Amino acid sequence: MSFLTLTHLQKSFGPTKVVHDFNMAIDKGEFVSFLGPSGCGKTTVLRMIAGFETPTGGEITINGKDQTSLKPNQRNIGMVFQAYALFPNMNVFDNVAFGLKVAGKPKSEIEARVKEMLKLIHLEHLADRYPYQMSGGQQQRVALARALAPAPQVLLLDEPLSALDAKIRVSLREEIRQIQRQLGITTVFVTHDQEEALSISDRIVVMNGGKADQIGTPAEIYNRPTTRFVANFVGTLNVIEAKVVDPAASTVEVGGKLLGVYGSLAGREKGSTIPLAFRPEAGSLLPGVSDTSALNGTVISSHFLGSVVRTKVDIGGSMISYDTFNDPSAAAPVAGQQVSLALTPESLMVLAD
Amino acid sequence: MKRLWAWGALTIGLLYFFLPLIGMTNFSLKMRRGEYSFDAYVKVLADTRFQDTFTYSVTLALCTILVGVFLVVPTAYWVRLKLPFLRPYIEFVTLLPLVIPAIVVVFGYIRLYNTSSWLPLTGTALGTDILLVAGYTMLALPYMYRAVDTGLRTIDVTTLTEAAQSLGAGWITIIARIILPNVLVAVLSGAFLTFAIVIGEFTMAALLNRPAFGPYMQVLGANRAYEPAALAVIAFAITWGCLGLIQLVSRFQKSAQRPV
Ligand SMILES: Nc1ncnc2c1ncn2[C@@H]1O[C@H](COP(=O)(O)OP(=O)(O)O)[C@@H](O)[C@H]1O
Ligand SMILES: [Mg+2]
Repeated sequence: MSFLTLTHLQKSFGPTKVVHDFNMAIDKGEFVSFLGPSGCGKTTVLRMIAGFETPTGGEITINGKDQTSLKPNQRNIGMVFQAYALFPNMNVFDNVAFGLKVAGKPKSEIEARVKEMLKLIHLEHLADRYPYQMSGGQQQRVALARALAPAPQVLLLDEPLSALDAKIRVSLREEIRQIQRQLGITTVFVTHDQEEALSISDRIVVMNGGKADQIGTPAEIYNRPTTRFVANFVGTLNVIEAKVVDPAASTVEVGGKLLGVYGSLAGREKGSTIPLAFRPEAGSLLPGVSDTSALNGTVISSHFLGSVVRTKVDIGGSMISYDTFNDPSAAAPVAGQQVSLALTPESLMVLAD
Repeated sequence: MKRLWAWGALTIGLLYFFLPLIGMTNFSLKMRRGEYSFDAYVKVLADTRFQDTFTYSVTLALCTILVGVFLVVPTAYWVRLKLPFLRPYIEFVTLLPLVIPAIVVVFGYIRLYNTSSWLPLTGTALGTDILLVAGYTMLALPYMYRAVDTGLRTIDVTTLTEAAQSLGAGWITIIARIILPNVLVAVLSGAFLTFAIVIGEFTMAALLNRPAFGPYMQVLGANRAYEPAALAVIAFAITWGCLGLIQLVSRFQKSAQRPV
């Protein structure tokens, strides 16, 4: 039995439908990310869970209990906002204590709980500071502690790291994940940053135009995207044209070479052209012309990116990217060089449009 | 040349403003023949009518401030949060007291709430006081509303409200613990302006026949020579004190402002 379920969730603002039939079941203690471009409805779904927006249709349950009729302050849900939203008139201690005071907890209990929370975020020494006296990263950690203090059933974070600079963003996301594991709290994390989602989630929901395109583990989403949108949005993608040779045996032809592909070609007509996708890090690039199944091509350019070298290769008129780790002992490919790219069936994805 | 004009204009302006004040202060100190003294002030301050009317007006000013805060803070907050499209209209309504003369309002009150009406407020002293506070609240509305609305602009009302709600807070807690403390400085400057307005108000108090400070000043002015000047200086000092306090609290706010 899932802990947080969203069933046929819909939301319209006037005539504009923003969320179409969103379905999701989240287990207790799970860390789920909503990933998608700006405007795809991530915040709207989150705000419906929190109770700030009323769904036009569908149902939200937490621990089997229907939430739809509950007000935001009756749901016991922790929320962290992009803009921190700490109360400017209160110091760190009072900010974290707010939810406990509202709940009418005894003073000694509040004090102990706030101390515990501040310890969790490593800011015990800043209990007397006011929000304007702290950095963005510190403020967001206090916001996290404030949301967690009343022991909410579910923690919601809406792009909590977007306002921070790159270094803090990485360290804080790891801290958030570690705290989440420690407390075992069911968490929904909204982001438009694919690396962020891939690095911290148990599961990812890739959203597109108000619906969930694909739900899966980070590896599934990255390695086995089911739609072109997901494949494109999560990571870099090469697409080449292939001709179906034998749908039953999952073989296609590219530039006169016969290739096996991952997944089913059922329903594709023999001889039809399909888009075939693979990641830049898939396969291996070898110098010279190949007469095996490796695809022949010409190097267009080579870019040194530090740990990675990205090579652009023209294969039968399609421009593809190929990434390898930097190797100081190997010569970088040069423009005009003849190369061949060997691809395994597992790395070749057939995408539904 | 241009500078000279500017200085000239400033000098004339300052003279225009300060000469009567200086003259009045000078006159108020001349009660004792041939020498300066505070006799007029002593007399005014010792007058029980002064003490009574002043106390009365201060009490009413405090009531007006309370009513104003309870009326304006939740209203301005709610309009910002839920009805932002209504803001221009609300602002227009709060500006009406500036264009409708107090005397018109009082006659309206007397017609509506006279002893033979459905709510005979003018029949009792307490009822009339309530009416007077309502009138004062209205007079102070433009200043109070503007001050509070400006204060609300400096905080992210929507997100702070949602943060508080998700932590379990209801509306009263949100307004009392989050909104009000964050606009306190704005509320205080509105309060000092209200205080200054109420202490000097004449029309409403006189027509409703209440023993307020304004009518007392008028009566004194009509019957005495030196005391009214002393009283005017005292009234000026109170008003300026209020303005000074506004400056002080807004300076305090600036130093506590977040450097975002
Ligand atoms: N209160 C609202 N009124 C009207 N349209 C809204 C409102 N909130 C969001 N929208 C619209 O809904 C769409 C999805 O918004 P949102 O959920 O904030 O997207 P995301 O968080 O994925 O960027 C956007 O096109 C946005 O303009
Ligand atoms: Mg958003």
